[in-house]
Amino acid sequence: MSVVGTLFEVTVTGIGLGAIYALVAIGFSLIYKVTGVLNFAQGQLALLGAYLVVVLSTPLLVALELPASAAIVATLVFGLLLGVFLERVVFRHFIGEPVLSVIIVTLALGGIITGMVRFLIGPQYRAYPEAIRPDWSLPLPFGVDLSASFTLGVALSLVVVVALMLFFRYTVIGSILRAGSSDQQAAMVLGVSIERTILLSWALSIAITSIGGLLFAMSAGGAGFTIEAVGVLIFAAVVFGGLDSIPGAFIGSIVVGLIQQLGAFYAEPVIGPGVGQVLPMVFLLVVILVKPYGLFGTERIERL
Amino acid sequence: MSDAESRSSTDDGDTPVVELDNAEIVYDRNFLAVQGVSMQASRGDIVALLGPNGAGKSTILKMISGIGRSERGEVTRGDVYYEGEKVTNFQCKEMVNRGVTHILEGRRVFPDLTVEENLRCGLYRQGRRIRYDKSDYDLAFEYFPQLEDLLDVQAGYTSGGEQQMLVVARALIHRPNLLLLDEPSLGLAPKLVKDIYETLREINREEDITMIIADQNAKRTLEIADYGYVLENGQIELNDPADVLVDREEIKEFYLGTSSEESRYSDIRHYKIRKRYT
Repeated sequence: MSVVGTLFEVTVTGIGLGAIYALVAIGFSLIYKVTGVLNFAQGQLALLGAYLVVVLSTPLLVALELPASAAIVATLVFGLLLGVFLERVVFRHFIGEPVLSVIIVTLALGGIITGMVRFLIGPQYRAYPEAIRPDWSLPLPFGVDLSASFTLGVALSLVVVVALMLFFRYTVIGSILRAGSSDQQAAMVLGVSIERTILLSWALSIAITSIGGLLFAMSAGGAGFTIEAVGVLIFAAVVFGGLDSIPGAFIGSIVVGLIQQLGAFYAEPVIGPGVGQVLPMVFLLVVILVKPYGLFGTERIERL
Repeated sequence: MSDAESRSSTDDGDTPVVELDNAEIVYDRNFLAVQGVSMQASRGDIVALLGPNGAGKSTILKMISGIGRSERGEVTRGDVYYEGEKVTNFQCKEMVNRGVTHILEGRRVFPDLTVEENLRCGLYRQGRRIRYDKSDYDLAFEYFPQLEDLLDVQAGYTSGGEQQMLVVARALIHRPNLLLLDEPSLGLAPKLVKDIYETLREINREEDITMIIADQNAKRTLEIADYGYVLENGQIELNDPADVLVDREEIKEFYLGTSSEESRYSDIRHYKIRKRYT
């Protein structure tokens, strides 16, 4: 393959990987935008989404001969329900408490999820059954084929970004979610139910995050604990894009995916293995120093 | 206080929109903010709630609207009635559903939202009315035509006067039965305060919205009010119809500064101005 062809392939793979990160990152930004909580359990929630299919596959997905799309739908539904469950059982009790305590709770939650998956399913990598692995790929120029999971990642993350942007910009509920996040009390006296807005955002956030986890696992052929690392990588993405910006989370994730892939392919032979993993974190540090609100983050308006 | 009681008994069954009966309000189970307050607002009236900082004006409004519950406030003695119904310690959403809208102190616009999006939030209550229409804002533009040109501006970048108009307009399209206003004149130029107050009076008359206005600007507030209460250290010190109250010596001396120049705080025995929490 030509030099250009290789560069193209690495770039496309980076974008595909970044798009999958984007789903996890959007889940993070959504919660931050609406509730002000930094969810440190994103990686673990993605992990849970990925392992769910392992649990379901043998009795349900394979037995009924359902395709990969069924796995995605099942994960989506599971994510919504998990979001509702966690909000009801955990996060609702922290409304009105300092945001910091909720952040600590998410750390604990992450630990609990990892432990439970380890305990219930086991610590090993679990390959997905052939039946629920999408077997097509998207042909691109230079003879490059983009695998189904990356293609799905790009498509789904684009859909989610556009849908959420339209939702926040043009619908009443979208305005209300943003209002509630900027001033809870002022929203409450207008009759906004803070509980409902928070419930809705957790459900959406965890559903999107789970899909991200599932696609990441599909791209690797199965679920493994390496997915947790996505939770750390997306920090670089959301900080670059601006913590509370949905399109920012998307673009930041694509950038992180590219840095990781290009770094892995071009820098690792020169510098050494693992550089691809390190570069996004170096990037994170630089971004925080240079542009603390990120590309699209809301800078606080201070009228003087 | 006896004044308030006799007032309600002579009302011949015409229930006041809101009534506090000997209410005691405590924050966080140990901080006594208001004690033994009895007051009421009759239908269609503007009631002025006057007094210095920390007198309990905001606290009373917050316990009527229920938002005080989210700050760990509680009516520990006495009762609050709304339209004859006992609503002591009701949650904010329950009061919103009954038509009570509270304009919080400090022009709480949603700064990241545009003026239009701010108004849009006024159209929604508890799951009802998800769809919206620009004509829904007509009521707001009728009283605040300036807002129409600002619809696409981020509310955080509008001026203080515009923000005050916006919060009143936002509350107005919420179609309240009772509107609670906390310090609408705070930090605004005198001319703006005059305009806002005149508009409030107009809204009160035209839209038949009962209002309680808590403000330190006694002169302006009493000009448009029908009845006034003066609070001091969480208790009602004076209450009279606004035109009577504005002529009371204590008010003149303490708030309006229209009495003799020699008068000092210490000369006015009625007002025990001191820090409560030391």
